[in-house]
Amino acid sequence: MVLLENDSFLTELTRLFQKCRTTGSVAITLKKYDGRTKPVPRKGHPESYEPADNKCLLRASDGKKKISTVVSLKHHVRKIGVGGWDMQIARLANVREHWLVGPILGSMYMNV
Amino acid sequence: MPYYQTWEEFARAAEKLYLTAPMKVRVVLKYRHCDGNLRIKVTDDAVCLQYKTDQAQDVKKIEKLHGKLMRLMVSKESGDHE
Repeated sequence: MVLLENDSFLTELTRLFQKCRTTGSVAITLKKYDGRTKPVPRKGHPESYEPADNKCLLRASDGKKKISTVVSLKHHVRKIGVGGWDMQIARLANVREHWLVGPILGSMYMNV
Repeated sequence: MPYYQTWEEFARAAEKLYLTAPMKVRVVLKYRHCDGNLRIKVTDDAVCLQYKTDQAQDVKKIEKLHGKLMRLMVSKESGDHE
């Protein structure tokens, strides 16, 4: 599992979507993250980390390659949310004749 | 675990589940371009809520819910601390 910065994560996510155009699926997982970097200690041993309340973990995979990133600031949330998976789906969906998602999502990005 | 038939019911249940257990809940999106469908799952490993679609207009709704949950996770005004 590769832990990336937010911008690199978006770049790699684009590549995952492009690779899976003809076959396969892209899975994106989102979970709240408390900032721990070490495993949970055994009973009787003290926790040695500061719990963080404002982070989330984003993971993406195509079944083979796995990438992840930690999102912790509100303006990063906007960047990931807007420039992330839904834009990729919009681009791919434009290829299919019956998906008319392009104009809708295009206007959405202009408004953020 | 059945898929929800209406988006509104799914969205309401998903947000309620997240607010009940913010540290346990994960949101999984799975997109298959070759089949033309998008699935979303919200689970705390006990309850599993799923919705699937092949409609373009649902992409925007799913994106809004995903963004909303992400903002809740990143916001500092969450309820319980350890």
